[in-house]
Amino acid sequence: MLGVVDACFLIDWSRYRRRELLASLFEAILVHEEVLAQLRSPSAIDFASRLLARGVLRLYPWSTAEEELYIQLRDEVALDPRIPSLERPDLLCLVIAHRTGATLLTENLGVLRVVQFHPAYSRVTAWTALEVLEQLVYRGLVEVGSAEEFLNIISEYCEDTKHVFSSKRMKDVVERVRAWLGR
Amino acid sequence: MAGKVRPPPELVREWEREDEEFRELRRRSADWKFIEGLEPRARLALLAYIETGDRYLAAKLAGLTLGEFDELRVKAGVVCVT
Repeated sequence: MLGVVDACFLIDWSRYRRRELLASLFEAILVHEEVLAQLRSPSAIDFASRLLARGVLRLYPWSTAEEELYIQLRDEVALDPRIPSLERPDLLCLVIAHRTGATLLTENLGVLRVVQFHPAYSRVTAWTALEVLEQLVYRGLVEVGSAEEFLNIISEYCEDTKHVFSSKRMKDVVERVRAWLGR
Repeated sequence: MAGKVRPPPELVREWEREDEEFRELRRRSADWKFIEGLEPRARLALLAYIETGDRYLAAKLAGLTLGEFDELRVKAGVVCVT
């Protein structure tokens, strides 16, 4: 599976005790150089460096055509006050996901909202850490025997990263995992 | 210039409900004593983050990179919510 990652996701995920599992889920994860430039914390730099050294994290060769797509997307959505945090590096990741079909790994609420309604970009698959944890279960990389055990896995992530998830998304993902466990 | 692409009203209402839930989670998680002891620029940035959830805006207000601001957010106990 191919992914593309933004800085918010990398910063948070790098604090997670099971962070190495990300490399088991994805064959390659694309990253824009402007995303790497945003990393400052030792944990995020260390994690990204190790993924780069292993060849899992790969610098994306940005093109003029993609720059034009970025400008178009920015003009369409970036000034909408109901969509927060639409900064250039994260929109670049959305463009890369759109162009390559890669799964977008993001914790940017604005980007997640664009994917909910934009005619072109709603085709992008966007995962937060919550969906990554869900996929780790489905692929047997994290073993859980019940929905409660899955909730414990999420609690570990929240504890390590100071990141929590919306009640609606938690309810939806737990229902999916419960259905998967009962299959 | 491209035209604006607007979200449907029902989605905007859902986002408004979500924004309120997320804001309350950030307020409740914050270590207010720690935040009150910060220098004004860092304090303002954290307050802006708690109210808006916008890490980029807050990092700019603090004069920090995104990664540096996130270190401050964690020290202040403020959760990120998606």
